Amino acid sequence: MKHSNDELIARWRGEPAPLLPLLHALHDRDGYLSDDALRAVAKGLRLPIADLFGTVTFYHHFSRQPPGKAAPRVCDGPVCKHRGTQALLQGLPGATVMPCAGRCDGPVPVLQGDLVRVGSTPDGLAEEPSPLPPPYPGDRGECVFAEIRTHDRATLAGYRSTGGYRALTAARDTMTPNEIIDVITASGLAGRGGAGFPTGRKWKAVAQAPGGPKTIVCNADEGEPGCFKDRALMDHDPHALVEGMAIAALATGATRGFIYLRYEYPQTLVILEDAIAEAQRVGLLDGFDLYVRRGAGAYVCGEETSLLNSLEGKHPFPRNRPPYPVTHGFEDRPTVVNNVETLCAVAPILRHGAAWYRDLGLGDHAGTKVISLSGDVQRPGNYEVPIGLPLRTLLHEWAGGPAPGRTIQAVTMAGLSGGLLGPDALQGTPAVTLDEPCLRARGAFLGAGGIMVFDDTRHMVELAHEAMEFFAHESCGKCFPCRIGTQRLTERLSGGGPVTLDAWTAEVTDIGDAMKATSACGLGTAAPLITDSLLRYFPDQVARHLAGRKA
Amino acid sequence: MTTHTTASTPEARELVLTMDGQEVSFSVGETLYQVSQRLRTEVPTLCYDDRLDPFGGCRLCVVEVEGQRNPVASCTTQALPGMVVHTRSERVERHRKTLLELVVSENPEARIDPLRGHASQELHHLRERYGVTGERMQGRKSGHSRPDDDNPFIARDYDQCISCYRCVRVCAEREGDYAISVKGRGFATQITVEFDGHLRDSACTFCGQCVQTCPTGALADRKALRAEARPEPIVATRSICPYCGVGCSVDLLSKGDRLVGIRPAMDGPANLGALCVKGQFAFDWVQSEDRLTTPLVRGKDGQLHPATWDEALDRAAAGFAKARDEHGQHGTYAIASGRAPHESAYAIQKFIRVSYGSNYIDNCSRA
Ligand SMILES: Cc1cc2nc3c(=O)[nH]c(=O)nc-3n(C[C@H](O)[C@H](O)[C@H](O)COP(=O)(O)O)c2cc1C
Ligand code: SF4
Ligand code: SF4
Ligand code: SF4
Ligand code: FES
Repeated sequence: MKHSNDELIARWRGEPAPLLPLLHALHDRDGYLSDDALRAVAKGLRLPIADLFGTVTFYHHFSRQPPGKAAPRVCDGPVCKHRGTQALLQGLPGATVMPCAGRCDGPVPVLQGDLVRVGSTPDGLAEEPSPLPPPYPGDRGECVFAEIRTHDRATLAGYRSTGGYRALTAARDTMTPNEIIDVITASGLAGRGGAGFPTGRKWKAVAQAPGGPKTIVCNADEGEPGCFKDRALMDHDPHALVEGMAIAALATGATRGFIYLRYEYPQTLVILEDAIAEAQRVGLLDGFDLYVRRGAGAYVCGEETSLLNSLEGKHPFPRNRPPYPVTHGFEDRPTVVNNVETLCAVAPILRHGAAWYRDLGLGDHAGTKVISLSGDVQRPGNYEVPIGLPLRTLLHEWAGGPAPGRTIQAVTMAGLSGGLLGPDALQGTPAVTLDEPCLRARGAFLGAGGIMVFDDTRHMVELAHEAMEFFAHESCGKCFPCRIGTQRLTERLSGGGPVTLDAWTAEVTDIGDAMKATSACGLGTAAPLITDSLLRYFPDQVARHLAGRKA
Repeated sequence: MTTHTTASTPEARELVLTMDGQEVSFSVGETLYQVSQRLRTEVPTLCYDDRLDPFGGCRLCVVEVEGQRNPVASCTTQALPGMVVHTRSERVERHRKTLLELVVSENPEARIDPLRGHASQELHHLRERYGVTGERMQGRKSGHSRPDDDNPFIARDYDQCISCYRCVRVCAEREGDYAISVKGRGFATQITVEFDGHLRDSACTFCGQCVQTCPTGALADRKALRAEARPEPIVATRSICPYCGVGCSVDLLSKGDRLVGIRPAMDGPANLGALCVKGQFAFDWVQSEDRLTTPLVRGKDGQLHPATWDEALDRAAAGFAKARDEHGQHGTYAIASGRAPHESAYAIQKFIRVSYGSNYIDNCSRA
């Protein structure tokens, strides 16, 4: 039976962060958001209709007309594009593209309704669970993946059978909030969502911030192309996330939590809701109200302040900082925003101790980082590497290197946000290691840990164009350097702009410099790393691109 | 300008920073941009309107703060004690020029008549100041004009829009109407009303504030633009809107002997740049063809007939005298029209108070 507008509004009006779930309920019901539905929502939630209209148009998965949600959307991320996107688009009636949907470690994903199927031809599409991480190839030891391959890990019973929720119980019964924070601080755990901020310090700031209620937000938006680690964690180890959030709540005094999940993970939504319900049933979450909220298609909503605006039902522009979310987060109250992987590391750290976690890293580096590795390597997948691992070890020893007869031409860093590393960096000495100091010195960064590999058959200008097109598509439009800069760079990578190499390079560099120095959020500051690294490592291909245009 | 080299109290000594080599004191909560304005450092802006919450969109106002890797937007950055700020370093000036080249590149070349609105020349002036020719950074244009919106007041010429969102913000923050919003994202953003309709079908009250804050003339005063072809210079005369008791300050725009438009005074103490639809757009009657040009006197036939001023004044005086004699001091009650000039309104109250000795005087605009 279809629920009426009024019934759905009544269902959600009293809930926290009601706008997105209400819009999804209507979108699920009709397949699109009609004028009538939006007018009813505006009235029911007392939102200005113009604002609501503008906000809805921000999200590319909200349709405004049929077939809307029923139409297939095919991933055309940088990896999928070479594995069948075109064939699927042609073979699936009404299909349109969507940016990287976070399944780069398998066949091309097609999202239709609440189903994600993968395949490379229209007839070959099938629903497949997220691949488990490959068997651990290292010797140092894993943290978040240590138990993920055990049978039934996603159920409460399976999770508990390998020590799950013991850390939460111990923290609740035997530790003060300060003691919890001290362990996390001493472990050296830092944000695994991109910015690498020390987690203990973030929690301490929220614990000490005046006012409440305090909130734990898990950033499960995973919109960065080439990143699919959070999906694996949530699909195979959802209780680890729930436990990590509950511990974060204990440590900071938070009483409510949200998991902000990207739209493209409908199966994960079910898994998370089941896990939360199981944990609630046995009282593990008493005193902590945990909700899942679904995004609707906007990469920038992974930026934490844009995410908070999105949760609050506002236009998802990033906020100006300071103030930071630790004091002015969800509804302007103190809020922890942490990535899935960060939160999943919390329970193991409490159980095994800060020193154990620190020692998982190599050299001076503390802990581990999950790398989503995809593209032209023999064994793509999620690898939990000790921080400081040589990139070459990961590419060649762990993942089997490129296909026989091929060489690796470039890898991306931080998904796309860290730009490219080219042959000089891949082959040179000292070897590139997977840690921020090393990568930043090379103009890249580790970020969320997506690495896409491109062998010598790829055109790097084309790849750079695809990357920049993604950033242009996802730019929120708040600030001039990124809104116009991503557009102009995209044009220059696909045949526009000056024809001489000097003039072309001058414009591209000026735009990039202004974007890096003045953009209002990390999207705009990171996007030009693509053009910077293209010019640094592949000047010949750029020159050929321009010469080809003149011809 | 409040610049100190020595501060007297300990608290005051703490609230000092250095900007372009000068020590400046500031008050808690002030932004670097506000401090720079007191120093008359001309930090460029496009998304800024001092009546609105700082937004941080155009990034032209970036300044360097020593110890910070990237420049910061001065409009959103709070001044802090001890900061060392450079507002016109070579680096920020270079980025500003690039940003201006970018923003100029998204609009088609066009002359923007100042009649379009109060702030309509802002982009043009910055373009001149930074010598931006429009040759670099060429590419696709943004924004789609809405010539189909045939409301009589506001032209929606979004070809000239630079997505600063001042219009959307002034409508929400100052007018409280929330009539317009931002559709889409990135380079495709478009100012719109609900469901892409027309202003008259939206929550818009045609207050004109969006027009006056638009830095490019993308939103334009259609009524004023009727006088675009008149050759005379625009002259602004400060006055007070007569329509109601709020007392909004206005600048009456004239060309030659013609009133061509009305503009809210940004420094008007009662309105700070706000007006309502009447104060903003309802002035055509002032020089309307339909207005009387000679006095009319009602004849025995019950019809109005042209008369001389003497005839008309004699008749009026006789009528007032009769009313006073027959009904006394309080037999007459005068109401001045909101459309009458202030001088006439003054004269009628003087007349009632002095000649009747009564306070039976009012104005239709008494809010
Ligand atoms: C454009 C942009 C997109 C981002 N997307 C994500 C994301 O999908 N997931 C995430 O955890 N962090 C993302 N971040 C980083 C967040 O802003 C934030 O730093 C992070 O969620 C904090 O959690 P952590 O400290 O545990 O890493 C993004 C940042 C930017 C600038
Ligand atoms: S950098 Fe891009 S995504 Fe970030 S605020 Fe600016 S326009 Fe929006
Ligand atoms: S005229 Fe006034 S009410 Fe109408 S859109 Fe502009 S600011 Fe809003
Ligand atoms: S219409 Fe004018 S005020 Fe509104 S966003 Fe465009 S340029 Fe800015
Ligand atoms: S005035 Fe500061 S960003 Fe526009």
